[in-house]
Amino acid sequence: MRQFIIGAAVALVAMPAAAQEFDWRKHDGETINVMLNNLAWTQLMRDRIEAFTEATGIKVRAETFSEEQYRTRLTTLLQGGSSELDVFMTLPSREAPLFASNGWYADLTPLLKSEATDPAYNYDDFSAALRQSGVVGEAVTSVPINVEGPLFYWRRDIFEKCDVEKPEYLEDLPAAAEKIRACDSAITPWAARGLRGTVGYPLGAFVYNMGGDFMDEDGKASLCLPGTIKGLDLYGSMLRDYGPPGATNHTFTQVMDLLGQGRVAMTNESSNEFSTLMKHEGRVEDIGVDVLPGGRESGISKPVVINWSLAVSGLSEKKEAAWYFVQWATGAENQEELATQGIAPSRVSVFNGEGFRNWASESRPRGEWLEALLEISQTGSSLYQTPSLTRTPEAREILSNVVQQIVLGQADAETAACAVTDEVQALQN
Amino acid sequence: MPPRSPGQQAMSARWMILPAVVMTLAMVIFPLGFAIYLSLGGNGTLPALGLGHYSRLMADPAFWSALRVTLVLFAVALVLQLVLGTALALALNRYNVVRGLVRTAILSPFMLPPVVVGMIAIVVLDPGLGAANWILESLGLPHFLWLASPRWSLLVVALIDTWQWTPFVALIVLGGLQALPARVYEAAEIDGAKGWSLFWHVTLPLLGPTLLTAAVLRSVDLLRFFDIIYITTQGGPGNATTTLNIQAYKLGFDFMDVGYASSVMIVLALIVLGSVVFFASLRKKVSW
Repeated sequence: MRQFIIGAAVALVAMPAAAQEFDWRKHDGETINVMLNNLAWTQLMRDRIEAFTEATGIKVRAETFSEEQYRTRLTTLLQGGSSELDVFMTLPSREAPLFASNGWYADLTPLLKSEATDPAYNYDDFSAALRQSGVVGEAVTSVPINVEGPLFYWRRDIFEKCDVEKPEYLEDLPAAAEKIRACDSAITPWAARGLRGTVGYPLGAFVYNMGGDFMDEDGKASLCLPGTIKGLDLYGSMLRDYGPPGATNHTFTQVMDLLGQGRVAMTNESSNEFSTLMKHEGRVEDIGVDVLPGGRESGISKPVVINWSLAVSGLSEKKEAAWYFVQWATGAENQEELATQGIAPSRVSVFNGEGFRNWASESRPRGEWLEALLEISQTGSSLYQTPSLTRTPEAREILSNVVQQIVLGQADAETAACAVTDEVQALQN
Repeated sequence: MPPRSPGQQAMSARWMILPAVVMTLAMVIFPLGFAIYLSLGGNGTLPALGLGHYSRLMADPAFWSALRVTLVLFAVALVLQLVLGTALALALNRYNVVRGLVRTAILSPFMLPPVVVGMIAIVVLDPGLGAANWILESLGLPHFLWLASPRWSLLVVALIDTWQWTPFVALIVLGGLQALPARVYEAAEIDGAKGWSLFWHVTLPLLGPTLLTAAVLRSVDLLRFFDIIYITTQGGPGNATTTLNIQAYKLGFDFMDVGYASSVMIVLALIVLGSVVFFASLRKKVSW
């Protein structure tokens, strides 16, 4: 840590001439409150906050919560109009329009154009699609800290042992799962999220790749579309027929635990969990990573890609000091450091940089992971529920309920999907 | 110093209770009043103040489902806890060997935080990895879905709560048992009462007020049931374990529909109040 602090101090001193003029210590002595969701990014960043205080004199009171608790606390503070919160993590694909309409984001646009931004910061270095995720109307409301999406993880050794080809198309998943089950009954062929409210993220590509969408040709929200029903049916029936028992209570933690412990042959789970997965014994040797296979009939491969971001609270009374923290946390130097620890960077220069590429080339799964991320960044969509400007969580809840009915055998995909048409259309703004 | 007049004493007493009144207003009346205000559409949750949220509630199948889940959970868990708690208290009262560490161990579950109980339930009852199915398998019995079963998950939640809170009920009943008048038992024994007859006709009626005290305390918790469900099932599978409290949480914090969530909470508060009033009035009737 001491080495890093000295390094950060040296880096600040040794900045190019233009950057030297930037006064990082303008808010020396101020204290800001930062609230973070407990992602891998957060765990690594928390150890580095001390360096920020050393360099700027700004004290940081950082609180970290698991995602559910994080949302509860964040919503409580923001709805209560608290000015104590200065910086918080946000998932733009879920909440940007709602938070912006409530005034919970500070508009970063004037700050980006002002002297409060380090000339070396280079906001344009962030991937255009990720930058856009934080733009509401004309306002920049947040800055992306990573890029992530569900990826197809599979056990090469099990596929080899059972003489099963890696599925070329999404429609091949059931046959591969069937063969694996016949070959090794101790292995669960497939695992995926089934818990309420969490299903949309890994499900999205199933819907798109089977030729479906979340709205009809007229722009009306619907799940009662032929391709969508096929996608829902495939996702639900894979979980029902080849998934672990109790999958309706599983989210990414259970899914990745099962894969890490070697009990599952394949899944479609978050790229964020890659570094955690690699810590399990033996997984570096036997895990394969790729983009989820596309649809044979549809010819479509449209994965889901999203990003977490940092926002300055619209209610904060220390917006400029808070913006200093966001600049520092999303700066190229921090992203380079985190990239070599498995955090997919949102800056193009870092993504394509030597450090990240060298790190990725050190093992086969890392290289596959990087290539898969590159592909989803270029072809992915951040929409994975019926579109709604402000009622995204409700749309995801409805989607989860439909999938749970299929998994539990309470209804077939068509019945479950078509029964909620009025409900999803009522969410459209 | 001259003695103070009754008027001065009354004035002084009023000043002395002022902090308590202020605290009550700040901590109870204001939040409740604000929740009622929100449920009526205050703070912009409806275009105008009115009963809009409540009429939406009456037509919302999710509300009726959550109400049914809440009441079933309440009834099943309360009956189980009172019956088992009384049985445990009788055993603790009768067998002197159950003392010290053993008694502490038996009574300890209710001292665990609900989060810990929820985590234990997740680990033990996981259908794939949990110890519960491993035990069933060892006994040659088929696996069970436990918390993932849409049919049984509510009962499993009730059983988890019963495991945690039966010792609490037992502790209250044990206190009641040890305070029962010995002369009544002497008279009953002279009249030939013993065993089940003694329990049914003497002990149980005498325990009435104690059991109703336990019922009041448990009913408040059971009607507001939240933490274990939140940790284990999030209200699922489907809506199988979605209580009113879970539904209000989702509406308020996930869907940010604060006004509607407040109307659910006000209805729940009225149900809790009704239950407390009911048990309290019953307690008066069985007092001796």
